Amino acid sequence: MRVVTYTLHKCVKCMRCLKTCPCEAITIKDERVQISAQKCINCGECISACNHSGLSAKGSTLVDLQNYERSVCLVPSSIYCDCASQLEAKRLNAALMKLGFDELVSLSCYEGAVYQKVNDLLKENDKGLYISTFCPVVNEMIEKQYPMLLDNQIDFEYPAVLAARDVRKKYGKAAGIFLLCECPAKLTLGKYPYGNMQSEIDHCLSIVDLFPQINENKSDDEAELELCQEGIKSVATSLGQRFDAQILSVNGMDKVRKALELSEFGLLKEVRYLSLSACFNGCIGGQFLWGNPFNGRINMHELLKSANRKPKEYTLEEIRGFKNEPKVQPKNMLEQLHSFMAINEVFDHLPGYDCGACGYPSCRSMAEAIVEGTQTLHDCKIIRKRGQHAG
Amino acid sequence: MFKEVYPIVRDDYANAGKVSTHVKGVLKQLAIPSDILRRIAVACYEAEINMIIHSFGGEIMLEISDEGNVYLSFNDNGPGIENVEKALTPGYSTASKKAREFGFGAGMGLPNIKRVSDSFELNTSSKGTRLRIGFYI
Repeated sequence: MRVVTYTLHKCVKCMRCLKTCPCEAITIKDERVQISAQKCINCGECISACNHSGLSAKGSTLVDLQNYERSVCLVPSSIYCDCASQLEAKRLNAALMKLGFDELVSLSCYEGAVYQKVNDLLKENDKGLYISTFCPVVNEMIEKQYPMLLDNQIDFEYPAVLAARDVRKKYGKAAGIFLLCECPAKLTLGKYPYGNMQSEIDHCLSIVDLFPQINENKSDDEAELELCQEGIKSVATSLGQRFDAQILSVNGMDKVRKALELSEFGLLKEVRYLSLSACFNGCIGGQFLWGNPFNGRINMHELLKSANRKPKEYTLEEIRGFKNEPKVQPKNMLEQLHSFMAINEVFDHLPGYDCGACGYPSCRSMAEAIVEGTQTLHDCKIIRKRGQHAG
Repeated sequence: MFKEVYPIVRDDYANAGKVSTHVKGVLKQLAIPSDILRRIAVACYEAEINMIIHSFGGEIMLEISDEGNVYLSFNDNGPGIENVEKALTPGYSTASKKAREFGFGAGMGLPNIKRVSDSFELNTSSKGTRLRIGFYI
């Protein structure tokens, strides 16, 4: 499931995406960007890096509302990070209703439930390091790049998945369940447009694409606001951070990576729970939110004061069910070793500049392509240039 | 069958852990089972730090045998371990003040390495220490 789409006529082949991708998932072949579904973790870094809107991630559209007798919109707490007061948040809710939904369901109480259950788990259990699972980008990153840590991940469901389950129980098949997404990766939680068929969430909507309509709908009208303190703390990392030494919350791709590297060496000995989010300052730093995570944090702190709902009550068993597991079958080690050595041999002939001119993000990935047989050493621009000089 | 060698410089705290990170990255690409890889990572890191703190420098060698077993050798140029028995006792440490300031030197290095590895050979003299540990796939 890969959310990033590419628009050829907007692309100027500047290679920014190629250089930015933290997973080396992007290559440029025949003047076109190609994204490897196996390597991509839906972080959206390439979308931010592109200066020409050549890359984007789109959700469903509101047209889909017509397909359902009743439409329910799941609203994450992080969307309110643009609201400086409770009043503004209530007005935002009214504007959301005017998009055509029959009901808004605040995810805050579900986010709070997961947040609280983590705390319960830490009290009860003494089994080394736990790693959070609320960020889909981090989950993919661990699955693909840090498989040693898969067993450390808490098996709790996403709050949106829990909420969707409740809505489905209440209204059955007649209801259309729409999730507002604050980042590209969350678009994968629903059936449409990205085909997660096990999910009860029918459609995922990108908040940023709805923003013009939401803005137009804004007036003095207010709608009920349900926020819970634990929910707010869980989406804005610096608010949720407790300094009792055992919980460490880390945000931002490079810092998350650092924490995962250290965990693999067993160096975070004192830490019992690693709360990881790929976006800066947590979900309020999501790419689809129009505000910024700096003001966002201040606003969320303000909303914390008036948040008065209780988190949903769950038993540990009810909240469990998430399983992060490798999707590709483990390969034969000796076969892998042979291909690794073959790649090493080719790599030694390449200049090692990682210039990207060949369309691969690094000389190493070029070497892989050469071993696979899709490229030759002469496709390296530097080697070719040297050859010309020599000849 | 496969062999790579990496140099280690004395007191090079700034680069502490880089070799282990590289070794971990190589082994990850070879699809080594997670539980074994975890043990290798822990041992490699401990031993690398040991070399930086205690030795005059040397080299780390990664080898993979035809059967797929992983061997790590840590060869340094001295000064040697004075009392091997004590060095293998948990909590015993001769680390310098500087090393402790960096958070190293808890005295768990060698005992930990021995605990997680499948084979453990340690030879030491004033000319240098040779540690070779193996992990069986």
